[in-house]
Amino acid sequence: MTDALFPTQEIGSLAKPSLEELRAWQEKVPFVDRLGPSGPDLLRGDAPEALPDLRAAFAIAFLESAGLDRVYDGEARRIEMYEHPIRQMAGFQFLGHVRSWDSKYYRKATVVEPVRLVRPYHLDEFDFVRDHARRGVKLPITGPYTLADWSFNEYYLARQPGWRGRPQRWAAQREFVVDLARQALRPTLKALVDRGCRTIQIDEPAAGTHPDEAALVVEGFNEATAGIDAEFSMHICYSRYEALLPALLEAKACRQWAWEFANRDSGDHDPYAVLRTLREYGDTRSIGLGVVDVHRDPVERPEQVADRIRRAASYLGDPTRIWTNPDCGLRTRRLDVAYDKLRAVVAGSRLARAEFASSRR
Amino acid sequence: MSAPPNRPVFAGLTSAYPRSEELVRATRDLDRGRAGAGAVETLYAASEKEVAALEERLFTTITGGYLRWNDLFRPIAESWTGFSVGPLTRWLETNTFFRQPVLAQPPVRVPGTVAARLPPVLGQRPEKARVLLPGPYTLARVLDNRTGESDGAVVARLGALYAEELAELRALGFGTFQFTDPYLVREPPDGVLETATLDAYRTIDAARGSSTTIVWTYGADPTPALRTLDRLPASVIGIDLTEVEAASLPAGPEGVGLGLGIIDPRTTLPENPVETVKVVREAVRRRRPSSVWLGPAASLDLLPTKPAEQKLLRLADILQALRREGVA
Repeated sequence: MTDALFPTQEIGSLAKPSLEELRAWQEKVPFVDRLGPSGPDLLRGDAPEALPDLRAAFAIAFLESAGLDRVYDGEARRIEMYEHPIRQMAGFQFLGHVRSWDSKYYRKATVVEPVRLVRPYHLDEFDFVRDHARRGVKLPITGPYTLADWSFNEYYLARQPGWRGRPQRWAAQREFVVDLARQALRPTLKALVDRGCRTIQIDEPAAGTHPDEAALVVEGFNEATAGIDAEFSMHICYSRYEALLPALLEAKACRQWAWEFANRDSGDHDPYAVLRTLREYGDTRSIGLGVVDVHRDPVERPEQVADRIRRAASYLGDPTRIWTNPDCGLRTRRLDVAYDKLRAVVAGSRLARAEFASSRR
Repeated sequence: MSAPPNRPVFAGLTSAYPRSEELVRATRDLDRGRAGAGAVETLYAASEKEVAALEERLFTTITGGYLRWNDLFRPIAESWTGFSVGPLTRWLETNTFFRQPVLAQPPVRVPGTVAARLPPVLGQRPEKARVLLPGPYTLARVLDNRTGESDGAVVARLGALYAEELAELRALGFGTFQFTDPYLVREPPDGVLETATLDAYRTIDAARGSSTTIVWTYGADPTPALRTLDRLPASVIGIDLTEVEAASLPAGPEGVGLGLGIIDPRTTLPENPVETVKVVREAVRRRRPSSVWLGPAASLDLLPTKPAEQKLLRLADILQALRREGVA
């Protein structure tokens, strides 16, 4: 971890480049040297089995070249954040695609038996990142509440007798979340930590969907992380964070809130103001501050990023607790746009750092 | 007050139906520039006809599935003056999003634009069509209001515009209008906003004529909102029966239909018809409505097509059971 103000970090997935795109990017962001002497041959060749390593090495270099302090591999080896972990478990059946928005879909599974972990996951990809990154590493992993919320709950709900109203649904969902946390997440997190993973971001984007279930998000988080010594953060995006407070503050092992803000930042509305609420609750955890919008192409100016940091620092009352990052994963952006946005995060953070340094002199 | 002796029971889709795997592939390809709009349009038209045929066979109203709509607000946000389409925003349901409408100046309705966005198949059977519109309260709650006017003023304006819209659509032969207004129960209005919401619906009601207006809510226990819901002038007020203890419902307003969301698309587990009929009867016994309108509670497009179709068939079974054995 850096001692400088406003260190920068990645937050999620990147678009997956084709071999042709990787070859083009090699000119701008050299990365094949990280794969050892065989790297250039792998890039020249057409072996499909080389693509995951090439993509992961590229993503690490891409993030580091943009200037981030904490990196990962852009989730280069994952199908996406839901399907990939569910496929490492038994008890689920995939049924087909459902729409997330517009023409974006995901394959959704239903739980038909008790959740069972087939094998701890993300281990090989972590090993690769650990061995190939030159900066700090932070591993993102989907949290138990989101895995449950994005699945259909059939097995646990069927155990509820009679009409399946709200109380029955709640009880069934709680069983499901706790099972996922204990049976799948905890052993996976433990295996990752045993391999040297120290910084782990638990992604709970579903947390904002049902604010009245915030306590369940926390229960899942606490069950998953119980007894595991690592630096945990919780990423939640596209949510009304006020509605999740103060329940969220009971997440014991969480050391950082990584939240999205820039998406909603407009002249009339200041989303960063919610940080004042954290301050009022006396919460002293650090913030992973979303300073660039990941769903629009126009690239933020560094001054705009610095302004967002400045506002956040004033609400939080402590600039030393701020990390900066994109709102969420940049997967839906073209790589050139993603790169420029990451550069904007870094440049804006540098600008804000200089301002704060001069104001302290 | 005694219950109406022959209380009619209706059923129908209340929101978008899932796109088939073929449509998923085609729309993805279109998005990525790998398919032409013409091919996707052909597929849309065929799929809408299929959904409408299924509805025609099973239910009272048809929707065609609203397969082309990207979200509930887009037909308004992309066509009425004053609106633009804003950031991606999380919707009320699992892993779904909408583009937040941005209102920069008082809205002005653009005639013909809503009709043009209805599934074409509805134009062939307007008398059976259920036209979906975002409820004025929910629309006002989710939009980014940059007009300088209060949210209450925006709700009032939307009520007036919807009254004009109803008049236009009625002239085209449409006769059933559903205002999807989940925020009425998620974050019930109070004070000025409640007054504005009631006024907006009164304005809409004045333009209703002989048509049927349905206010459809879901996603939260309606009990705290009944104070408002029971004063809304509409033909039918819909509540999410999966969110409420039916036995705790008070009597409803006289002469108003009761909408009941009884199919839960948040699980693939099929509804138990016996249990469902029992709970519907209890709700009807409590509310004493003039008619009963059954449907999915939330959007069926939370499901892939196969379980969605199974749930639709289950809805039809429950409808038949209630018609056969009596609702209350």
